[in-house]
Amino acid sequence: MRVVIGEDLALLRDGLTRLLEASGFDVVGAVADAPSVAVLLEREDVDVAVLDIRMPPTYTNEGLKAALAARQRRPGMPIVVLSQFVEQLYARELLQSGEGGLGYLLKDRVANVDEFVAAVRQVAAGGTVLDPKVVAGLLSGASAREPLARLTPREREVLRLIAQGRSNAGIAAGLVLSEKAVGKHINNIFAKLALPPATDDNRRVLAVLTYLQGTPEDSTAG
Amino acid sequence: MTRPRELPRHLAMHVIAGFGICAATIVIWAATGASTYFWPRWVCFGIGVVLGSEFAMRAAWRYPPGRRRRLAVHIAADAVLAPLEIAVWALSGAGFFWPAFPLAALAIALSLHVWLEFRRPDDRERALVHRVDVLTRTRRGALDTQAAELRRIERDLHDGAQARLVSLGMSLGLAERLLLTDPEGAAKLLAEARTSTLSALDDLRTVMQAIHPSVLADRGLSGAVQALALDVSLPVEVAYDVAGAAPAPIESAMYFAVAECLANAVKHSHARHASVRIEHRDGRLVAVVADDGRGGARVGAGSGLSGVAARLEAFDGELTVLSPGGGPTVVTLEVPCELSSARTLPSSETD
Repeated sequence: MRVVIGEDLALLRDGLTRLLEASGFDVVGAVADAPSVAVLLEREDVDVAVLDIRMPPTYTNEGLKAALAARQRRPGMPIVVLSQFVEQLYARELLQSGEGGLGYLLKDRVANVDEFVAAVRQVAAGGTVLDPKVVAGLLSGASAREPLARLTPREREVLRLIAQGRSNAGIAAGLVLSEKAVGKHINNIFAKLALPPATDDNRRVLAVLTYLQGTPEDSTAG
Repeated sequence: MTRPRELPRHLAMHVIAGFGICAATIVIWAATGASTYFWPRWVCFGIGVVLGSEFAMRAAWRYPPGRRRRLAVHIAADAVLAPLEIAVWALSGAGFFWPAFPLAALAIALSLHVWLEFRRPDDRERALVHRVDVLTRTRRGALDTQAAELRRIERDLHDGAQARLVSLGMSLGLAERLLLTDPEGAAKLLAEARTSTLSALDDLRTVMQAIHPSVLADRGLSGAVQALALDVSLPVEVAYDVAGAAPAPIESAMYFAVAECLANAVKHSHARHASVRIEHRDGRLVAVVADDGRGGARVGAGSGLSGVAARLEAFDGELTVLSPGGGPTVVTLEVPCELSSARTLPSSETD
């Protein structure tokens, strides 16, 4: 699997390269600034890109802009955006197009090598992976809304894991439940939130996120 | 002030014209028989008075408006009037020295003016004294706030990240010792160490966000307030109508002020809905934060709002709270400032 890395701090860039190569990725380019990233993302044979959100020249949110630009040219281009801070605002912008193949994670997550590599693979396969912090923020911001208050604590737990991009099996393992029980909880959640049922993991994540980000009217209409 | 530069040329032309008229009248006087009564002296005298007045008034007008200009105009008038009276006395035969009386009157009037002007402070001076008072107070306030912030940051780093790094070091040291004798125990300690790094990073992130939120640096006040609204656990409506960017320190102060108001809406006001409206009008950046909670908010000693007021005061800004018991609460934050040209938002590029 061919991966591109955009990270301005040499220490982290080398670390990411080493980590991904050790996990069987083929690092085709590791660069330090947004223009070089844009050049690399033009290549058609890149399977996934891992970008730091803050890079030269302005050290603000070039990584995010580069990701959005690349995905405009090639919809669904898998990109993992890494950041020291997570903002719901940026998650919203990344997810706006409604396509999968996106990851938005805190840099800290790199420390858990297995989880990080799994997340990159999931994104490369077209999945959506959001940092647990973003999901927690989305849920707390939405908690004032009426239908969410009707979910049981267990259903909220399941919803949190769906939004992080976990599959039924992943949720079952995380909560020590049977897959069947998880399926039942998910059906209940979708019914309570008036979301159309979805089978594929990524579609499911996007449905939940659309619900959490937009007003309930929007999501029932769609 | 370009007027003083042009003054000599103007005046020179007037002087040349005056001399011309004087010369002309003397020629007429000579041509009409040069009678014993030298009447052109009155013409010359009149022109002298006009030129003298012009010169004196122009000189007086160079002073800045206020007390000094008023006195300068008075002295200039006296400087024309006093010689004028003496000249009239001299030209009309120099008999009994009657100008003594008007000169005395002028002297008395001038002394009275000087006394009046120096008895009460000038408007400008009073305004300056007031300004110095305000600046002294707000500067002290700003320094106090800053010192308190630094103390808080130091404490946060000490209790948070530093403590965690110490524990991390201990875990690693122990793991090193156990590596050969008890690999399983060592693995457990290493896992613990990794958790410690995550907690330390979390602590550092909190401290950094409190210093300068990254989204504020990325997107300016508009994006930062939108991000803030998303993070608050209550629906917040944001309206942002500012054509340009305020200076960074003011945007930062405004951001933290709005954050504090929204935090209050959640913590104390038990609001169900809040709104933030930010606009720039009459040279002031104005933010209005409203919520439909139970009201009763006030700027008291040690409250979050008094901290906000102190922060804004450093920029000559002010905070007004309208919060009757039972609500709603409306907090208005105002800071005078100029805007620079609008910054380009990344979202507008990608739309």
